[in-house]
Amino acid sequence: MAEIKFVLNNEKVQIDRDPTMRLLDVLRDDFGLIGVKEGCGEGECGACSVLIDSEVASSCIVPLGNVFDKKIVTIEGFKKTDRYKVLHEAYEEEGAVQCGFCIPGMLLASESLLNKNPHPSEDEIRDGLSGNLCRCTGYNMIVRAVQRAAETGEGLW
Amino acid sequence: MVKSYFPKTYRQALEILAKSNPAIIAGGTDLMVKKRRWSGLSPGFSEDMIFISQLRELDYIRRENGKIYIGANVTLEKLLHDKDIPEILKKAVASMASPGVRHTATLAGNIANASPAGDTLPVLYILNARIVIGSLERENVIQIEDFILGPGSIDLRRSEIIKEIIIDDTDFDFMMYEKVGGRKSDAISKVSFAAAVSSVFDMVTDMRIAIGAVAPTVVRIREFELQLIDTPVNEMAQISGLVKDLYKPLIKPISDQRSTADYRKMCVLNFIEEFLNKAGKRIGKEKDIDW
Amino acid sequence: MSGISKSIPKQDTAEKTSGEALYIGDIKVDGMLHAKTLRSTKTRALIKEIKLPDLPEGYHIVDYRDIPGENYVKIIFEDMPVFAEKTVNYYGEPILLVIGSDKQQILKLIDAIEVIYEPLEPRYKYTKSVVHYEYEKGNTDTAFANAVRTINGEYKTGYQEHIYLEPQGVISLYDENKITILGSMQCPYYIKNAVMQVLNADEDGVRVQQATTGGAFGGKEEFPSLIACQAAVASAKLKKPVSLIYDRMEDIETTTKRHPSLIKFTAAIGPDFTVDGIRAHVSLDSGAYIGLSGVVLQRAMIAASGVYTIKNLSVSGDVYETNSVPNGAFRGFGAPQMFFAVEMFMEHIAKELKYSPLEFKLNYLAKTGDATSTGGQFRNPIIMRDMVHKAWEISDYRRKTTEFSQLGVYKGIGMSLFLHGCGFTGSGEQKHIKAVVRLRKNKDDTVTILASSTDMGQGAATTLRKIAAGILELSVEQIIYNKPDTDHVPDSGPTVASRTIMIVGGLIARAAVDLKEKWKPGEEIIVEQRYKQPEFIKWDEDKLRGDAYPAYSWGVVVSEVEVNPVTWTVELKGLWSVYDIGIAIDERIVIGQIEGGLLQGISYGMMEVMECKEGIIQQRNVTDYIIPTAADSINMHTVLMDNSYPLGPYGAKGAGELPLVGGAPAVAMAIENAIGKKVTRIPVTPEYIMELMKNG
Repeated sequence: MAEIKFVLNNEKVQIDRDPTMRLLDVLRDDFGLIGVKEGCGEGECGACSVLIDSEVASSCIVPLGNVFDKKIVTIEGFKKTDRYKVLHEAYEEEGAVQCGFCIPGMLLASESLLNKNPHPSEDEIRDGLSGNLCRCTGYNMIVRAVQRAAETGEGLW
Repeated sequence: MVKSYFPKTYRQALEILAKSNPAIIAGGTDLMVKKRRWSGLSPGFSEDMIFISQLRELDYIRRENGKIYIGANVTLEKLLHDKDIPEILKKAVASMASPGVRHTATLAGNIANASPAGDTLPVLYILNARIVIGSLERENVIQIEDFILGPGSIDLRRSEIIKEIIIDDTDFDFMMYEKVGGRKSDAISKVSFAAAVSSVFDMVTDMRIAIGAVAPTVVRIREFELQLIDTPVNEMAQISGLVKDLYKPLIKPISDQRSTADYRKMCVLNFIEEFLNKAGKRIGKEKDIDW
Repeated sequence: MSGISKSIPKQDTAEKTSGEALYIGDIKVDGMLHAKTLRSTKTRALIKEIKLPDLPEGYHIVDYRDIPGENYVKIIFEDMPVFAEKTVNYYGEPILLVIGSDKQQILKLIDAIEVIYEPLEPRYKYTKSVVHYEYEKGNTDTAFANAVRTINGEYKTGYQEHIYLEPQGVISLYDENKITILGSMQCPYYIKNAVMQVLNADEDGVRVQQATTGGAFGGKEEFPSLIACQAAVASAKLKKPVSLIYDRMEDIETTTKRHPSLIKFTAAIGPDFTVDGIRAHVSLDSGAYIGLSGVVLQRAMIAASGVYTIKNLSVSGDVYETNSVPNGAFRGFGAPQMFFAVEMFMEHIAKELKYSPLEFKLNYLAKTGDATSTGGQFRNPIIMRDMVHKAWEISDYRRKTTEFSQLGVYKGIGMSLFLHGCGFTGSGEQKHIKAVVRLRKNKDDTVTILASSTDMGQGAATTLRKIAAGILELSVEQIIYNKPDTDHVPDSGPTVASRTIMIVGGLIARAAVDLKEKWKPGEEIIVEQRYKQPEFIKWDEDKLRGDAYPAYSWGVVVSEVEVNPVTWTVELKGLWSVYDIGIAIDERIVIGQIEGGLLQGISYGMMEVMECKEGIIQQRNVTDYIIPTAADSINMHTVLMDNSYPLGPYGAKGAGELPLVGGAPAVAMAIENAIGKKVTRIPVTPEYIMELMKNG
């Protein structure tokens, strides 16, 4: 066990846990952040995506011990931002949400991408989202949603 | 209950390693998958663990004296955006996993994982990567082909740690990296291939070829490469049959759930041919990297 | 575009983008125990003995002896046990559950259990037929007797795994008088009926509630009944809530998949070089239990002449039992296998006879009024010719065909023509399903849809409300749709077979008309509609004769590829498709179904490799079983051509499965044309292309 301190959705938190635990389990079970999903458990599907210091990461393969002093943002924290509003509206407008299981992770991957590259090309979007599997949409509506968000959210990123 | 260590400095990490011999966890992207159990449970680590990702001292990329030094905590993502990293290594890194993994996985981890299909390995082999191994007693530098012993097996004692990786900062005339996976991104390689060539007065002065996922470790045969020195550049295409014959006996891939032995072998031989053809045509015209 | 097609925001988008939607793994119940399945490590064996460790307080084993009712999962054919009894028939077959509060302890107990087996000779080949059907149209014997030559074709298709992003899972809640199943599912009443049979319970003893469902694609049609039965038995025995939720590897290894198939054709070529008759045989691998394989076989067989009118047709088919994981429902339900085969076969006949494949196919294209393969009739207008022309135009098909035919180009373009029968095969709706739908007008003048149709992402929560709102002339916000709960909704049938809009939506539309007449502000009114088969439908279930479906949706897919001659990897360069699904209830939702379905079909045809070696699935996780990422997908150009179906709500037909059906043949043909070698199996992987280039 170890005392792990980090910033979770803009609040300082501290937890006494086995540091080899998956960040995913800590977020879901200890903090009740169920928007973080487990789709594969091996870092392949992106359903468990969170932001670590603003960059998307697969929380199922991040040990808790690696988030010391880091800033973690889950969909629950992200949904309070203006960027979320723009992304949500773009996803809705483009019809990019079907079963929704990949969507919290997909939104955070979109945020991470736009944060680095506010005007991504189509290929850059496809590449930026390539770690987030979606089996419902065929991805095109998601790609268009990110394009739309980049336009309507001009200046936010 | 296993113990976890969180050193604050590199020196402290060496002391802990010397005293308690814990296993090292860096980005964790390979280990956490290997040891995972039922969701909600800690992974099944049976040894004490030392966490090193918080050591900012090991997060650096430096370019000095014809060499590039990459600290053990440098993530794959950071390599992609650093001006000093050779394009061919960036290409290999970009082909690896997904953004979410590249943000946390490290180059040192990819080496320590010693997977025959490790995507950066063929590039590191042709860039003559050396692994700097630290311990309380001494610092060792070892060639990557001596460091990686077999699938998942490396020459690292329990008191030691990978401190940094050193690669050549060589300006080749022509370089090529190819990876074949089951899809365009986020796939484990079926085969990977890296090669580079330099010439002076249209004669080959340096030729390097490394092949991944066709043998227990990356195949790079320096004596073959030496035989190719002094080949006239305009004859490179003609010798491709010869070169393929040289490598053929050493390409012994397996068939598994990702591909077949025959297919892997075909790709590699075709890559050798393509490399020699393209290199012959490009050199002298413009220095280039084949994307 | 008609008014109803105009897109509106989906009901559930906000709760999904914000991460608030509750999927089964997100639901926590006080005192809930976890269950883990002990599975067979043999592909076929007798269980001689099971040595159990001492169980600590609070830990339990549940197996077949705890089942109060029958040890069968109620699917169409009841041969799959809930828990193995004396024999195991596939690797991974569930034997018992270990249940308790601490997962670590459960794993320890699982590891401590020793099962002593006596191995039996397993079967992996197509040797034991367990279902056989055949039908004949016209007279093939005469056609073959008069033939100047015959042409054969043999086609093989592999497994396909659903990879819904959310793995399978259920929670069983205990109450003295009632077991309640919460879960990720398509068909609440399938589960309810299955659990009733296992528990020996009556209607009131079992309740099923759908949780937000993270994708299904047929994978959550019948499989959830198995784990619901297991969890229910455990819950009933222990009088506690029990959760049984799979992780990805367990899901891939042990849940149903698309049936691998082997399809053989012989065509009789008449004196004027026309196809006068076709004989076809379909073999499906059911895995260890039959389940609904017989119905999958029927759909495959009925599609044997594709979109073409073949005068003399003789089709037979067998389901073969093998000692491997049972196969089951998957979007398309037998049609993707057959459409790959028949489209390739028609292409190959044309090439063999030196015809232009497309002109050749158009010559046989079914016309309005033609007899269907089973001797029914295509009653509604067929607009396929216009659709093909549209597809030509938007894809620049003819120019590319010529341009790519040059040697050494390694580019190819392929076109598939396909249809999908909407709703259950034959008289399934009338005889077996008997759908009931209610609308309840509430006192506040809102209207609640009472139907068991689930939304698993495909948008039923939005489209069904649109239908009701449109007819009642209310705003969509005034129509309430909740996730089905069998205590509150009647059985309107399972959410399968491209039936939800056409059949259930049709019933909602009729109920809405009724309610509109009876409307009284401020009062509660309930109206009900029951399915009535159109009078003209006649179907002989044993002989497979008559009208197999009340209506058909149609499609054309054009795919363009470029093959890398160094690695034989294939890059998708273009995807164009045209559909007739009647009238779209919501265009954006339909396009979403099309784009997702088409990509599943394309990757079924070129990417998704799953092999079963000696009864063991080799690709056991999403690292090894590859599905497309955003980088593998490309922009798709989709055209919907309105063709109103008089019996569908607002003229709508089925759309859910259709887009998957055309993907594989289109991409396989494009690859065939790019490499100039005959493709006869999917997936067309680089490894297979290499073989073709070497040997072909």
